[in-house]
Amino acid sequence: MLGYLSSLVRNRSHAQDLLQDSFLQIHRSRHTYRPDLPVKPWVFAIARHMWLMDLRTRSRRPQAEGELLEIPVPADVASLADRDTLRRALRDLLPDRREALLLHHIWGFSFAEIGQLLGIREDAAKLRSSRAMGDLRRSLQGMRE
Amino acid sequence: MTPLPAPTTRTLPFLPIAAAQLVAAVLVFGIRLDAPQLGFGLTWGASTLQLLLSLLLIVLALREAIPGTTLSRHALVVTFGASIAAVVGITWWTWTLSPTTVEPRAELVVWRICLGGTILLALPVLALAGWLVASAFPLRPRLAGALCGLGAGLMADAGWRLFCHYSDPAHVFGAHTLAILITTITGSLLCGRWLPRT
Repeated sequence: MLGYLSSLVRNRSHAQDLLQDSFLQIHRSRHTYRPDLPVKPWVFAIARHMWLMDLRTRSRRPQAEGELLEIPVPADVASLADRDTLRRALRDLLPDRREALLLHHIWGFSFAEIGQLLGIREDAAKLRSSRAMGDLRRSLQGMRE
Repeated sequence: MTPLPAPTTRTLPFLPIAAAQLVAAVLVFGIRLDAPQLGFGLTWGASTLQLLLSLLLIVLALREAIPGTTLSRHALVVTFGASIAAVVGITWWTWTLSPTTVEPRAELVVWRICLGGTILLALPVLALAGWLVASAFPLRPRLAGALCGLGAGLMADAGWRLFCHYSDPAHVFGAHTLAILITTITGSLLCGRWLPRT
């Protein structure tokens, strides 16, 4: 969850604050968890909600030039470049595509679960992730050339 | 701590309310005058269909109120589209089989009765659905509220249309559909305003 929040806010201490708020909210709304459903989409949906609420209350601060996302790198592309280059390439992806890519490749969500988490269709989640992967490969190729 | 039951289980209390809504106006005011002309299908059949649709909308609202099970845009378009199609289809079909218009001098009175009656019948359903949504954790409270309001409006209109004698689309859309729209907006505004987001 910390990794996921870090990928959304681009700052580890901010992500830690959000993580704390998320756990508090998870505790408050624990009665809404249904044991017949997987726990991960429920937990991540609350964390994502906390991030969205945080976005709403804070004025958006432009990201400082050169600041790198604190996000894990998908194994599929880890061998293509060094970590900083990969992070730069990930940072340049469209946020909604990057989120779908990371949710699937890093946190192991199925596309159906991503669809439910983001409020989109399963096909759309698959498309976003696949486009993000394509963009990432093209971006890394461009950096090498 | 007891986990929330499934949305379908939480919708069960609405079944007796829905049944009461279906027959209330008919029992108090009597069935519409053109009922024999319309037949069972376009009176009780169409209203039951509309009622089932309203119950489905409440199930979806309660599902929307559980984190991690939010509805996709596609599902929402289908849901709202099906509701509009049902109202328009029933109105058009009824008008084709039995075209009855409101007398010009009674237009305002009939409009007030149908608009007010539908909204009044919808309010308790909206209150109960809103309370059930609030007892979960809706991440998109305005949307969950709109689904509740649409469900409540459709449920109330399903019963009210059995009493209203007029099938003129101008009257149906201007009073009945407007009432559904008002309950939808009211549900959305109430849930968006009062439900805590964090």
